[in-house]
Amino acid sequence: MGFSRLAAAMTVLFASAAASASGDKTFERQVPAEAHGVVDISNVSGTVVVSGWDRPQVSVRAELGEGVERVDVSTDHGRTTVKVVLPHSGHGGEADLHVQVPKDSELTVSAVSADVTTAGVTGVQRLNTVSGDITAELAGSDLELKSVSGNVKLKGHGQPARLHVSTVSGDVHLEHGAGDLEAGTVSGTLVVSLDSARSVRARSTSGDVHFEGNLARGADFDATSVSGDLNVRASAESGYAYEVSTFSGEISNCFDATPSEHGHLPGHTLQGTRGDGAGHLRLKTMSGDVQLCDRK
Amino acid sequence: MSGSGSADERKVSSLRELSPAIEPPRDLWPQIEARINAQRRSAPAAQPRPARALPPRWLAAAALVASVAVGVWIGRSLLPAARSGSDVESARSASRASFAGAPTALDVAYVSDPRYQRDRAALMKSLQARLAALPPAARAKVMASLAALQRAKEDLESALGKDPGNALLQELLVNTYQDEMRVLTDVQASDAGRGI
Repeated sequence: MGFSRLAAAMTVLFASAAASASGDKTFERQVPAEAHGVVDISNVSGTVVVSGWDRPQVSVRAELGEGVERVDVSTDHGRTTVKVVLPHSGHGGEADLHVQVPKDSELTVSAVSADVTTAGVTGVQRLNTVSGDITAELAGSDLELKSVSGNVKLKGHGQPARLHVSTVSGDVHLEHGAGDLEAGTVSGTLVVSLDSARSVRARSTSGDVHFEGNLARGADFDATSVSGDLNVRASAESGYAYEVSTFSGEISNCFDATPSEHGHLPGHTLQGTRGDGAGHLRLKTMSGDVQLCDRK
Repeated sequence: MSGSGSADERKVSSLRELSPAIEPPRDLWPQIEARINAQRRSAPAAQPRPARALPPRWLAAAALVASVAVGVWIGRSLLPAARSGSDVESARSASRASFAGAPTALDVAYVSDPRYQRDRAALMKSLQARLAALPPAARAKVMASLAALQRAKEDLESALGKDPGNALLQELLVNTYQDEMRVLTDVQASDAGRGI
């Protein structure tokens, strides 16, 4: 045996020993999938990275930490399931999943503390985590996203879609979205930028809401909070009628309209019309401050 | 006393100047007594004036007082969120009790649907177990959010105590109840084995 062969064998041996010592295992599998099929992915802890591609296949590559039992991949009648299986003892480890799916797939990801990232998926996406963060690319299809405490980052390309996002304490950042947005949080912050909005419903308890974007003709915009501030910079070619109500918060605007008081009762109201008044914009809060501007 | 027909009229400056021995020319009492008795006999014909004869301003004042009383009663009995002053504190205590798991009269008043009450009670009962199953960082955040919801409810109730008829506050309070249910449902659904 020559020296080079011996060195190579030793390298493989050391690498295997290192992998064994760390408990990491790798897993790879590819299964055929329909172009517009359904892909379900679940992982408790670690990461889930999903990307769309043009092949009619689902490819799974995973690094499995100690305590992960296995990864199940199955496909049946157009539905492909990828599931990280933990021991019944419940003391599971982390798994890092990299999954490639046909780009038009309908994608569902469920995770606990695993962070979820998607890119290049043009089908409907349903992304759920408990504490894991979610980063997703929007591509014109509907999105349903729910997280308890994870932070959410969404980036679109201005293609209209129905977006439904809710968190309990996680922050939400949405850039270049379009279409219909329904977003809610208890204590997280909503930072939303929509290129063209048909309808917006944003609701927060104590988190602040920041909106910037264009309202389509006849758009409907509602934002409410209990104590969070509402900062809205909404432009609209065809204008909108606006109505701002607070109980104890302050109202300011960039077009020099003067809020009215409710006589001897607490509260302020600001009402009026910008442009043709084709859309409707309502902002309501108890103690949050409101800033409204009709320019981005 | 002066005698108008007396020629030698003089002024009396003190009662002591009058003679105590002067007798009245006749006894006047029988006539006085007869008049009093006559009035007593005719008393049934002179009924007290009916209430409608009271001046209108008394009626208006009475109606106002009655209205305020009914309003206060409704506010205290039927709209617990409209409590004010020290009652707000008791409402807060009730809310805190609710947070601990026991539905209060406050909840019942606003959300009278029995199914809502049943579902909420079940969710509150299992909340601690679900929270314990969450990762520590997530548990802390969720508890902070539940506390934020609780504060929001208390603040809204307190504000409604100042302005019971405020539609904005009522809408926000209903929203907050809905948000609380959403959070409880999401936490309930957060299975440690599969996410939410």
